[in-house]
Amino acid sequence: MAASTASVLLLVFLPLVQMLIGSSPGLMWETIQDKDVLRAIWLSLYASGLAALISLVLGTPFAYLLARHDFRGKKLLESAIDLPIMIPHPVIGIAILSVAGAHHPVGQFLAWLGVRIMGSVTGLVIVLTFVGLPFHVSAVRTGFTAVPERLEKVSRSLGAGMTATFFRVTLPLTWRSLLIGQIMCLARAISEFGAVVIVAYHPMTAPVMIYERFTAYGLKYSMPVAAWLIIASLILFVLLRWVSAAREKRP
Amino acid sequence: MSLVKNRLVGFALIAALLVALPASAPAAGPSGKIIIFHAGSLTVPFADMEKAFEAKHPVVDILREAGGSTKMARLISEVGKPADIMASADYVVIDKTLRPKFCDFNVRFATNQLVLCYTDTSKFAAEINPDNWYQILQRKGVVWGHSDPNLDPCGYRSLMVLQLAEKFYKQPGLYQKLLDNRPQANIRPKSVELVNLLKTGHMDYAWEYLSVAVQHKLKYLKLPAEINLGDYHQDDFYKQAKVEVSGKKPGTKITRTGQSCTYGVTLIKQAPNKAGAVAFLAYLLSKDGGLKILADQGQPPLDPVRVPTAEMKAKLPAELQGLVQVKD
Repeated sequence: MAASTASVLLLVFLPLVQMLIGSSPGLMWETIQDKDVLRAIWLSLYASGLAALISLVLGTPFAYLLARHDFRGKKLLESAIDLPIMIPHPVIGIAILSVAGAHHPVGQFLAWLGVRIMGSVTGLVIVLTFVGLPFHVSAVRTGFTAVPERLEKVSRSLGAGMTATFFRVTLPLTWRSLLIGQIMCLARAISEFGAVVIVAYHPMTAPVMIYERFTAYGLKYSMPVAAWLIIASLILFVLLRWVSAAREKRP
Repeated sequence: MSLVKNRLVGFALIAALLVALPASAPAAGPSGKIIIFHAGSLTVPFADMEKAFEAKHPVVDILREAGGSTKMARLISEVGKPADIMASADYVVIDKTLRPKFCDFNVRFATNQLVLCYTDTSKFAAEINPDNWYQILQRKGVVWGHSDPNLDPCGYRSLMVLQLAEKFYKQPGLYQKLLDNRPQANIRPKSVELVNLLKTGHMDYAWEYLSVAVQHKLKYLKLPAEINLGDYHQDDFYKQAKVEVSGKKPGTKITRTGQSCTYGVTLIKQAPNKAGAVAFLAYLLSKDGGLKILADQGQPPLDPVRVPTAEMKAKLPAELQGLVQVKD
């Protein structure tokens, strides 16, 4: 058991620590002052945040459906929502580009609306939502399943409507799993590369910039960008976890 | 005890056999993996060459990696990725990035020219012709692009064509006006990626090599020899085009000067499989081997394939001496 713990910790922390201490402080400072780097990190956080919010709005009712109701084809639906996790990332990008292209009815409709997918923040957010949604739905569904349906039925029998029941009974008991779902979705979206590089090489997200710098300049100039992205993500996640833990302490 | 001894003797015999067997097999031609880094525009002909070469030498496994030539060369020089052969869309990339530390020679073996590619569904496809293309590319709503000049010679060559167009059509300011209608989102790291964007309708026009247009059955517009970078007789006119691309460090710049498209190939000094690499180079540079495949795929090879000085020719491996001539 000790050996297993040590191996896991080593596997996870060794590359991370190497990434963070691998660049000289001078180079780290120089990198964070580069406007392109700041823009890329900001775009990654902003687009992933949007994708997480969209997943919250679209995914939560769906997760509720999966948790509460049984129906024919439910198993199929459950497998379907897990598909984005299994599809290779470049394939996701190619598929989205094909659907949004001028030869597809959806693409033609989007063009008529004036919406641009290729090389735009819109396309970026669509890709990130696609890859992040299953993570949010999974986490939230677990949360809903843990709440006894009995409590909701009692609330309904006392006269509260479905919406009131959700916000006054279910939500207070499951908000933590919603937050976890958001964190998982956010984490997945920030790190997405394969699908993003196909749909939107520009505007550049941080993972795309890290790869571009790696191929253009080598390891030395791509590591600082990676380190700053890790630091930014760490701060974000620690904040989110702190919010969820702080609430727990209240009586 | 004797059981253990028997087992040990048995193991020793098997080990001796395994060690002896490969040594006893006669060394017959190239074998093992051959890693080839090459320009994106060479993908289709090199894929055919890979099949033909592996059919002739079944014990060989060719591993190709394609990308913008500048990027591929830097993967060797800056990142230290192992490779046996480097084939670049611009021989200058090999000279500037890989010689002399990573290679000794640079054989110029093929040419190309830039064309403007499009499809049936491109905007104004029925209207475009060699006289009005630069006006159509300025129209609002026309999506056109090229590859990243920092990573791909086709990228900086596309910009050179536009600069030369300004001079040839005598339209001052044309270059800037064209760039104003080309947002950064329309730049891709590798020129062949643009083909996919054209075919899915995400892009109306893209700057590509003629060979790529032919290989992917795209519609294309041929341009006057003075601006299409395809004719080495026009090198003096091409010289007027200058594009700044990123240097070795972020923030530094190098200037690339216009020149006719000449492809170069070399053997990497630190090649893991030198024998295999030389055998493939001999196949690539032979008139009935690789050069014929290039010609069939719409990319006329240089005749003869050449190096600029006798000094460089002396550095070529013996197998290639008869195939390459000295010519500037």
